[in-house]
Amino acid sequence: MRATRVIITALNLKWAYHAANTMTGFATSVIGCGVEAGIECELSTDETPDGRPGVSVLMFAMGSKVLMQQLETRMGQCILTCPTAAAFAGIKSDDQINLGKNLRYFGDGFQTSKLIAGKRYWRIPVMDGEFLVQETTGMVRAIGGGNFLVLGISQTQVLAACESAIEAMKKMSNIIMPFPGGTVRSGSKVGSKYPKMFASTNDAFCPTLKGLVNSELSNDIESVMEIVIDGLSFYDIAKAMKAGIEAACSLGCESGVKRISAGNYGGKLGPHHFNLHEILK
Amino acid sequence: MTALTFTLKSNPANKLNCGRLTPNNLRGISIAEIGNLKLSIAKNSHKIADIFKVSGKDTENIIFKKSSPQLDFIGHKMSSGSITIEGDCGDFLGANMQSGNIICQGNAGDRVGDGMRRGLILIDGSSGNYCGSRMIAGTIGVYGNTGNYTGFAMKRGTILLINPVNLHATIQDCGMHTLPFLALLFQSFKPLTTSFNRIKTLRVQRFAGDLACNGNGEILVMQD
Repeated sequence: MRATRVIITALNLKWAYHAANTMTGFATSVIGCGVEAGIECELSTDETPDGRPGVSVLMFAMGSKVLMQQLETRMGQCILTCPTAAAFAGIKSDDQINLGKNLRYFGDGFQTSKLIAGKRYWRIPVMDGEFLVQETTGMVRAIGGGNFLVLGISQTQVLAACESAIEAMKKMSNIIMPFPGGTVRSGSKVGSKYPKMFASTNDAFCPTLKGLVNSELSNDIESVMEIVIDGLSFYDIAKAMKAGIEAACSLGCESGVKRISAGNYGGKLGPHHFNLHEILK
Repeated sequence: MTALTFTLKSNPANKLNCGRLTPNNLRGISIAEIGNLKLSIAKNSHKIADIFKVSGKDTENIIFKKSSPQLDFIGHKMSSGSITIEGDCGDFLGANMQSGNIICQGNAGDRVGDGMRRGLILIDGSSGNYCGSRMIAGTIGVYGNTGNYTGFAMKRGTILLINPVNLHATIQDCGMHTLPFLALLFQSFKPLTTSFNRIKTLRVQRFAGDLACNGNGEILVMQD
């Protein structure tokens, strides 16, 4: 996969989140959204280029072309439009992709550029003042689709365990969990009986199909949820998975969690395999 | 490595063209060779060692000590590095500059940054007339006062002023604004020794111009 990081700042954290939430909306899976995106962390005024509060956003795509296209579209519709927001490169790389390079034409000839400390920024006049955006950001190789499954005796208890795991994983850097609340209930397998479908429901882990298919679930499992992690490196994902699994398991037997598993999809999903026993060592 | 330093031996009676003394012109040349170079290509030009005491090795960082208003064209066509002027300097400071930084700790003469394309010129003192004339892009800051016709025929670029200035008719007032890019600009000044690091606000009165040359340049006058 290819990934990029964008630093979004605004007048206050509220508006930085408005911008970032919009930009990372409808970005759960590359299958249907083009990119997987999420908020990596909050940034204090000391950590942002313009000294305003901000958030860091990570975006992942299957290739550089899609990533560039999606970044440009989302910058134009979500960040340019958001009051007081500004956007800056968040990752260093020799591979540079457009952040505000083409957005500048929105300025209709009134846009101006400034080269400050070797970095080019665009100032685009907008109705609330000026939209400030860096010309490019870095693009790096990354890994998507790291995952683990939480299996338990009830939907409510599995969800609570996943929430604990997500809280622990949110403290990690260089990763995102792109699904709603970081958790996905519709885990998929590769392929389908329908020729046009690339992915379909992970029947082996669907509790209501026990007895109908070659199920992976024991009789006491009534609900399964998956946490998917995209990260900038194998180490980042493995570290986050360890933290998440430990947080879910630390709730104890009474939490209803019976088993932690993971989907490897017969090794068809990609070259990186996260073996849970090795990660937890 | 210590900065390449030109210390003026005595105040010259006539104007001197110092356009040759830039990082890009002196790169890879030893002190002895620099001293033997002629200050300009004029037939009767003095050797550099006749005018300046030359010391230091780092040609990317040049310092003018005991500088004088007789020294014109400092930083002319410079394309990298930095020049610090400890004192006043003459006309055409940073004229046709392509990149790099110039810090003038005293006053500058007329036509600062004339035709400059990129780079940064910061003047702690005042500047003469036609500051930023024919400027193509880049940034000029003047902490003191500026003369007449500031930004005359400028195409793009930013002239940052602390004190109010009389501007000519083809520079238009765009009102008071808080400009976010100034936070980045001021952040980039932090490693430099300049009075501009005292600025605590992003509030400016913005003038656009020169409208005779499309008006994509700007003169920003800092507000309290």
